[in-house]
Amino acid sequence: MAERGWRRAGWLLMGLVALVTPPVAGDDGNGNVDALTVLSWGGAYERAQREALFRPFTATTGIPVAVARYDGGLTALRQAVADDEVPWDVIDMTRSEAMAACEEGLLEPLSPSLPAPAPDGTPPETDFLDDAFGRCAITHSIFATVVAYRRDAFPGQRPTAIGDLFDQQRFPGPRALQRTPAVNLEWALLSYGVPREELYRLLSTPRGLRLALARLASLEEVHWWEAGDTPPRLLAEGRVVMASGYNGRFFDAMVNREVPIEILWDGQVQEHETWVIPRGSPHPEAARRFIRFATDTERLAELARRIPYGPARHSAAVRVTTHPDNGRDMRLHIPTHPLNAQRAVTKDEVWYAETLTRLNEYFRDWLARRRAPQVPRKVLDSE
Amino acid sequence: MDTSSAPFHGTRMMVRFLGLVVLGAVIGGVAALLAAGFVIAVLALNEWLLISPRSRMMFDHGTLLALATVAVPTIGGLAAGLLHRGIPERRPHGPADVIAAVQTRRGRLPARAGSLSALSALVSLGSGASVGQYGPLVHLGATLGSQVARRLHFGRSEDNITIACGVAAAIATAFNAPLAGIVFAHEVVLRHYALRAFAPIAAAAIVGHVIAIVALDRGALFHVTNTVLPRPWEFALFVVIGGLGALVAGAYTRAILGVARQAARLPVLPWLRPALAGALLGLVALWVPDILGMGQETLRFATIDGAYGTRELLLVLLLKLAATALCIGMGFGGGVFSPALVIGTLFGALCGQVVGAVVGTPMDTFVFYAVCGMVAVTAPVIGAPLTSLLIVFELTGSYTLTTAALASVTLASPIAAQLFGRSLFDIQLRERGLDLSAGRSQALLQEARAHAHLSRDCVILASRMALGEAIHVLTRARHGEAHLQDARGGYRGSVTLAALEATREREGNQASVETIDLEVRPVVRPTTSILEAMDLLRDFTGEAIPAVDANGHLVGVVYEASIARAYLQQSDELRQEEHGHG
Repeated sequence: MAERGWRRAGWLLMGLVALVTPPVAGDDGNGNVDALTVLSWGGAYERAQREALFRPFTATTGIPVAVARYDGGLTALRQAVADDEVPWDVIDMTRSEAMAACEEGLLEPLSPSLPAPAPDGTPPETDFLDDAFGRCAITHSIFATVVAYRRDAFPGQRPTAIGDLFDQQRFPGPRALQRTPAVNLEWALLSYGVPREELYRLLSTPRGLRLALARLASLEEVHWWEAGDTPPRLLAEGRVVMASGYNGRFFDAMVNREVPIEILWDGQVQEHETWVIPRGSPHPEAARRFIRFATDTERLAELARRIPYGPARHSAAVRVTTHPDNGRDMRLHIPTHPLNAQRAVTKDEVWYAETLTRLNEYFRDWLARRRAPQVPRKVLDSE
Repeated sequence: MDTSSAPFHGTRMMVRFLGLVVLGAVIGGVAALLAAGFVIAVLALNEWLLISPRSRMMFDHGTLLALATVAVPTIGGLAAGLLHRGIPERRPHGPADVIAAVQTRRGRLPARAGSLSALSALVSLGSGASVGQYGPLVHLGATLGSQVARRLHFGRSEDNITIACGVAAAIATAFNAPLAGIVFAHEVVLRHYALRAFAPIAAAAIVGHVIAIVALDRGALFHVTNTVLPRPWEFALFVVIGGLGALVAGAYTRAILGVARQAARLPVLPWLRPALAGALLGLVALWVPDILGMGQETLRFATIDGAYGTRELLLVLLLKLAATALCIGMGFGGGVFSPALVIGTLFGALCGQVVGAVVGTPMDTFVFYAVCGMVAVTAPVIGAPLTSLLIVFELTGSYTLTTAALASVTLASPIAAQLFGRSLFDIQLRERGLDLSAGRSQALLQEARAHAHLSRDCVILASRMALGEAIHVLTRARHGEAHLQDARGGYRGSVTLAALEATREREGNQASVETIDLEVRPVVRPTTSILEAMDLLRDFTGEAIPAVDANGHLVGVVYEASIARAYLQQSDELRQEEHGHG
């Protein structure tokens, strides 16, 4: 108890120091910031963030939050840092990109002591998930890329395993997949029955990549999507019967727009979603303040009540309850729930940080080659 | 027997026995930690040294990678060669040495050779040599058990049990397969089953298993998700695969031993040979990287239909076999089991593809062929059909797969045993002069020296002595026969009192003993084993065999009775160890 008391006193002291510290240019630390610009992913995700994080932050600090739309990637950030004109203060970034960006020196370092302790005093280092703290990034949520399918597409049966994504005999119809090697390669290799623990070791061999691409090539009619809101739309319009996508978007389509879809949790690929501060952010102090606020236990739980992403803090995970509007039990919809996580794959972001550029090239070449011989292939088929 | 002391005696035995079980668990714990540390260290080395595919993929500099591919195994070979110079026999110790120690009841595995062998295996595996990790782990566990027994001044039977405990724990940890660990210790090391040994070994294996769960948080070696059942006629094919697999296993063993023999003739310093093998391995790996290291990825791909083309399978199989023979034959430290797993699985996959081509339908039972090939090759190599089956069972958790493997091992083990020998270890021991093919009692008699039963209570006469004096000496000593020595101390022959008397009647007292037609008996030399001495006894009638020292000087005799007694005592000890339960 005494130790906890001291720790609390320490936090209090640190908070005071933060308040007294002289403000940096353009950021006087008292909320007199024109606006904090957050780069985030739009759609249902942004709506949930607005309610759970941005509005309460403005209410508490008086700092208005402006949101810019982000579709992933580092090209824009690289350019902005090079031109020394970074328009954003905080970026909501996947961990793999955060790692790469940190390596390139595009991000400010972040201390693990930045987030507040849990309400019971547990320090962030133990309250957060393992490896939630990177050099420049703090994980706030776990999201998953999953497959969703139209409930009405396969009368009499339902996909139960990730291999069914590639089984167009039993589950006929067009698919929508993200135009990226990540996740697609994992699923393709899983469909051969390899254990998820071996995925990245096997994908590291030319043979593994070849097998995975061969599986992807066996699919007929694939829509390659890029923006996260495309797959729910394609499903809703009935243009595809199965699609990969972020679990939160699918939930939103299911619950708020009553699209007749179901999530296949088997083989879900979990990723960390992090907060980062770009190097040269106009308001770095306000940005730190925002991250501390947004990674607080209650805020994380509040976010998970609105969009089904797994909170990165243990203290927040146990506080996830029902959706404030529709009353759904959100625990059943978050990827980290034990029922959903049984055969989850954790994305090997260290691996991706080193290989993504080459994989992207490899994948692009493959896509180009795949598109080119499509006519001759039909000719072959008819032989 | 005094009945009143029996309960006390029983309690004391019980306490001793329980003590042994607890000791087994402790040895199991330490052996398991060592094994887990070893496995983790090998994985880490493979990451740092750009051997594992994952690290190779993440390292984006083609030229440097190619350079490392050749340099790392070469330098690793150099290090292994240098380490072996610290071992008296100038070679790494392995399971064969464990088996020899237990089967000849000499126990005592030296700590220095044990730790240096483990270190050289770590370096070899870490730098990508095509060798296995289970042999070194078995030897490491066994050395630990032996050292504990030595520190506690245990007898030979207990020593054998503690060795088996170390072995069982190492296997239980490395494979995460406790049953296989227990059976391996019995099937390969002890080669008999006794309740007295079972309990401590089981305790060691369980502790190893628990530590494996906690310390080695990793997936099974080959986790297989398969629910299809093979068609009935496929079981017949599995049996045939077993028979063919025995031949592959034979080729593998022959290749390893053959390279070792050829390597001895190479005009290269022995400690430089592994480096040479490493360089060669690295160069071939630039072309076919599948042959580097233990080959877990290759193992996995071989269970997937379509991952390899038929010709590719054959190529990788042959190259892996050659690479392993090269590495082990040229003196890298490491085992033979993991490469055998890979070779066997590739062989099974090849069979599966051939069957698929003949049948012409997609093979949903492909993994069965791969596993059957794996068992068919590994079981004969290590001489352990039951262990191999249990490894399949514990690692796949599939009963159907295990029965398929059973079908395959039925033919594999006996055919290989008939054609080549019980296991690679037994063949290695036979080449070193220890033949275990006739069982443990024979081996023991082979190992025990007849000189140990040398008696000086005999009559040795100079060959020029007069008959009368000779008879006098002999009667005074109350002996029936005398052994004659020439001027330089060498053995000339033996005479009986009856023959001396008969000659004296003909030739008179002063005639020399040499005038008698001497009976020249075979002699016992310092190297003669009890088994050989028993053979010598067949060729003559008499009380004793003359014994000579290393210089050929007659030093005494070994009585027929003491040889018989030694034999009986040996059998008695064995019977107690193998059938005793307390």
